[in-house]
Amino acid sequence: MAVQTARRAEKLPGGRVNLAGRGSALGDRAFQGIAFAFAASILVLIVTIFVVLFVDARVALAQEGLRFITGQVWNPNESIFGALPYIYGTIFTSLIGLLIATPIAVGASLYIVEYAPNWLRAPISFIVELLAVIPSVIYGFWGLAVLAPFLRDRVERPLKAALGDVPVLNALVEGPARGRDMFVAGVILSIMILPTIMSVAREVISTVPGTQREGMLALGATKWEMIKGAVLPYARGGIVGAAILGLGRAIGETMAVTMLIGNSSTKISWSLLTPGYTMASAIANQFADANSAVHFSAIIGVAVVLLFVTGAVNLVARLIVSRFGGDTRATGI
Amino acid sequence: MSTSERRGRETATIETAQTGIADGRGMAPASASPAEMAQAAQEKAQVREVIEQKAGGGVSLVAEGVNAWYGSTHAIKDVSMTFRANEVTALIGPSGCGKSTFLRCLNRMHEVLAGARVEGKILIDGQDIYGKGVDSVRVRRHIGMVFQKPNPFPMMSIYDNVIAGLKLNGIRKRKSEMDETVEHSLRGAALWNEVKDKLKESGASLSGGQQQRLCIARTIAVEPEVVLMDEPCSALDPISTYKIEELIGELKQKYTIAIVTHNMQQASRVADWTSFMLAGDAGYGQLVEYGRTEQIFTQPQDKRTEDYITGRFG
Amino acid sequence: MGLMTLLLAFTFVLTACGGGATPTTGGTTSSAAPSAAPSTAASTAPSAAPSTVASAAPSTAASAAPSTAAGGSATRTTAPATTTSAAGGTSSTATRAVATATRTGSATAVGTAGSANATPNTSINITGPFSGEANTLNGAGATFPQVLYSKWFDEYSKVTNVKVNYQGTGSGAGKNAIRDQTVDFAGSDSPMSDAELAAAQAKCGDTIQHIPTTLGAIVVSYNLPNVSQKLKMDGDVIAGIFLEQIKKWNDPKIAALNPGVNLPNEDIITVHRSDSSGTTDNFTSYLTAVSQAWANGPKSGSTVQWPGGIGASGNPGVANEIKNNPYAIGYVELAFAKQNNLSYADVKNSAGQFVTANAASVTAAGQSAAERAPADLRFKLVNAPGAQSYPITAITWILVCPKQTDQAKAVALTRMLWWATHSGQQFAEGLDYSPLPPAIVVRAEAFINNITVNGQKAFPGR
Repeated sequence: MAVQTARRAEKLPGGRVNLAGRGSALGDRAFQGIAFAFAASILVLIVTIFVVLFVDARVALAQEGLRFITGQVWNPNESIFGALPYIYGTIFTSLIGLLIATPIAVGASLYIVEYAPNWLRAPISFIVELLAVIPSVIYGFWGLAVLAPFLRDRVERPLKAALGDVPVLNALVEGPARGRDMFVAGVILSIMILPTIMSVAREVISTVPGTQREGMLALGATKWEMIKGAVLPYARGGIVGAAILGLGRAIGETMAVTMLIGNSSTKISWSLLTPGYTMASAIANQFADANSAVHFSAIIGVAVVLLFVTGAVNLVARLIVSRFGGDTRATGI
Repeated sequence: MSTSERRGRETATIETAQTGIADGRGMAPASASPAEMAQAAQEKAQVREVIEQKAGGGVSLVAEGVNAWYGSTHAIKDVSMTFRANEVTALIGPSGCGKSTFLRCLNRMHEVLAGARVEGKILIDGQDIYGKGVDSVRVRRHIGMVFQKPNPFPMMSIYDNVIAGLKLNGIRKRKSEMDETVEHSLRGAALWNEVKDKLKESGASLSGGQQQRLCIARTIAVEPEVVLMDEPCSALDPISTYKIEELIGELKQKYTIAIVTHNMQQASRVADWTSFMLAGDAGYGQLVEYGRTEQIFTQPQDKRTEDYITGRFG
Repeated sequence: MGLMTLLLAFTFVLTACGGGATPTTGGTTSSAAPSAAPSTAASTAPSAAPSTVASAAPSTAASAAPSTAAGGSATRTTAPATTTSAAGGTSSTATRAVATATRTGSATAVGTAGSANATPNTSINITGPFSGEANTLNGAGATFPQVLYSKWFDEYSKVTNVKVNYQGTGSGAGKNAIRDQTVDFAGSDSPMSDAELAAAQAKCGDTIQHIPTTLGAIVVSYNLPNVSQKLKMDGDVIAGIFLEQIKKWNDPKIAALNPGVNLPNEDIITVHRSDSSGTTDNFTSYLTAVSQAWANGPKSGSTVQWPGGIGASGNPGVANEIKNNPYAIGYVELAFAKQNNLSYADVKNSAGQFVTANAASVTAAGQSAAERAPADLRFKLVNAPGAQSYPITAITWILVCPKQTDQAKAVALTRMLWWATHSGQQFAEGLDYSPLPPAIVVRAEAFINNITVNGQKAFPGR
């Protein structure tokens, strides 16, 4: 209809140019309206998620107050809901994942960008990105079948043997090597977030200007010195950003972690060998089982906390990135 | 040659250069206030002092039948010429003539690019930098380079930028020695007065001209024998250009300098020797003519050189 | 109506329909429930209603067939006029039962209720399809009886062409599903609490019935490479292990019970259920009964605060974890241990005997069921008396809403329940479960007969 209106005679009788008409403007406005509706629907969706979560979590949050996030006891039988162990499990596993994944991702990115022959770059990148499309549950199965027994027998047991009698450090390996614990969950997370971190890190590293590299080389730097002195510092902000993106994924990751974390103790322990829960796995585990209104509400409360932690992590990340990337004041490498 | 003699000769050169600027650009330091002129004079004295402290001078660099390729593209063919010790040699020619490529061959920077390849000999002190058993990293420590676009390391402070080269290969100096080197190099690059109070600030916080001088400071901090400059002023304003040209005049006392420039006036102002390169119909760049700067600009032997310098093409 | 006639012909007495805790509109309180006290109890504590139902049942077995006076419910009305006449004869008995046997706690056995001489009705057999019944039923819940249920529903579809889908989601999820009426029936081996029953009233409109289906053993199963002897354990040791106070396999407490067994010096890895589980409920009830430390610690429940160990979902999940982790120990239904070739310990019973879990020892434990079972059959069989009794025996139920609304579904459901509690029992032993004791079957019959659809008895009786 709008189109028809717009296609009216271009000339008025008498040969004057006809510029009158609102057809095209109408079409524009219609499209603008539709576009706005789409944009608004996203906003509505987000608001709805928040509102629904808050409303559903109200009962438990009202009952527990601040103890909901500081309490260490989560006992539905006695209607006590302290989510701190879940929050702790989330942060602990995510950090393990991050600590493992970031160096690997950066190292692999450096190899692809700086060392790999041209013909090898695309295949490596493709394989790494393939990691990103593997469904979580498959990671879980692989973790159960391959990774967990391997880590239990080849890493956890030797680690326990090595550190078991060392003061302070033995806290890291307290408890039996089960293959279902924070460590295994962290390792599977590291694999899962690797492609996320790597794709960004690779991008960031490859956009380090050639002049930076050449500037360092021209001073008589070896390739490694060039990377250390010019490439990594320049890419630092972006790499931190990449790691944070990975952290974001790690925090929310559910299925594979649930299959490997042990879903158990609500102990808060430094031990890598603690079977535990993340917030996401606690939600997944208990959602169907909640048999009281408060328990259900408390699980929704965990979801609210998860949302906030994710938000906070992203915020902190942005601050870090802007410190490294935005403000170029250097502190020396 | 005694110090005073050398100084006398250099002063003359610089005066020539200044005249050149005044003629060529209409931009004269004459417009500067007496205080500014006094500061400039002081700076110049500092530069000279630093340069004179350098142990050893420049050495000559001899290119013999250099060919370079980008993948299958033959970029330069059979270029042979000499960069004389403690003199400035300019490489001029239209875009695409291979002058920058040739310059990058001189310290093995060309091969850094994927698929790039060099044939021929480049002799420094009689040793072929492409010879067997030669480490390109060692070559670059002796043959420094300043790039077209100022490229200080933005994540490093000014201080760290200057000593970046010194930190390489495990050279460990005491803090006081480092401080000394930083001041020395910045003075040598005529930048000390401007940055001495903000050495901890990022190298990226400086203006373009200051950044380029920081890059020069960074280059001379490792005390190479040869400094290659790839259109070092093309991204700079006239005043910054002037400062750098002036600096080049001082540096050549102890360094052998090769400079690629698009700007023929610049070549005539700073260079003792000039070579003109041109890419023929075959696509690869070749050396057309090489000689003393006055001769190239006043009595070119080759018709193509004459056409280029009189502005008939390029 | 045709159905009702049929039912009367079978001399089933149906006096109740619906009622429950909510007063039925338009009805007057029946003279069958004159006492005000149970009425109040029923409206505040819904569990009281079924308790009266069941307690009344055996005493009204007027004929050879186990007939039922599902009266009890104090707030029941006389709404279904067609049945009142039939109810007349039993109502006074029912009232008496209410007065004498109102249960106050789930542990209280009901005196005469479980008279062991009652025999199940063998004259009603489900032998073929029934016209008008739904052709699918959906259930979810306990994984404990899943092995048996799979067999049952496979067999049952051959008999009746009714397809029964059952998902092993765990008892907790099963109880939630029947509460929300998202399934036709739920499986659970953890009885619903009074609060859960109250919550389930909303959708069902009546008190959810616990229909027992089978008995099984929860075995303490372990993965000890290179140990071929069967281990012996008692309540203290099992509690100690799951409290993580006994940390090594060669702990003196384990060794003391197992002389001559070369126990490894390895960390014990405990495995428990991560989901809300009836198996956990029974297992922890057992530990609470036999171990003071456990009673003072985690106590019993479908989910408890485990001091440590691996959590896994469902009986299959726990069995898998034990299988995949050397030096692991966990608790699963016997069938899962056998399926996975897992070792399991002989457990010391209340008579001081170490008993192997098998159909016989579970049946022995079930002997006491009739005495223990309260009217609503919400009870546990753990730590049963008897020298032959396996101590961690559990009863499992199908939970149904006795007030159905879909005629076809209700018919299919009641027929399936009848089949399961009668013909189906023969499959139990072969799959390492145990058939229900006859006295319990009789009471299950009463529950099945009490299921109504839109006020009419749902079970067609064939």
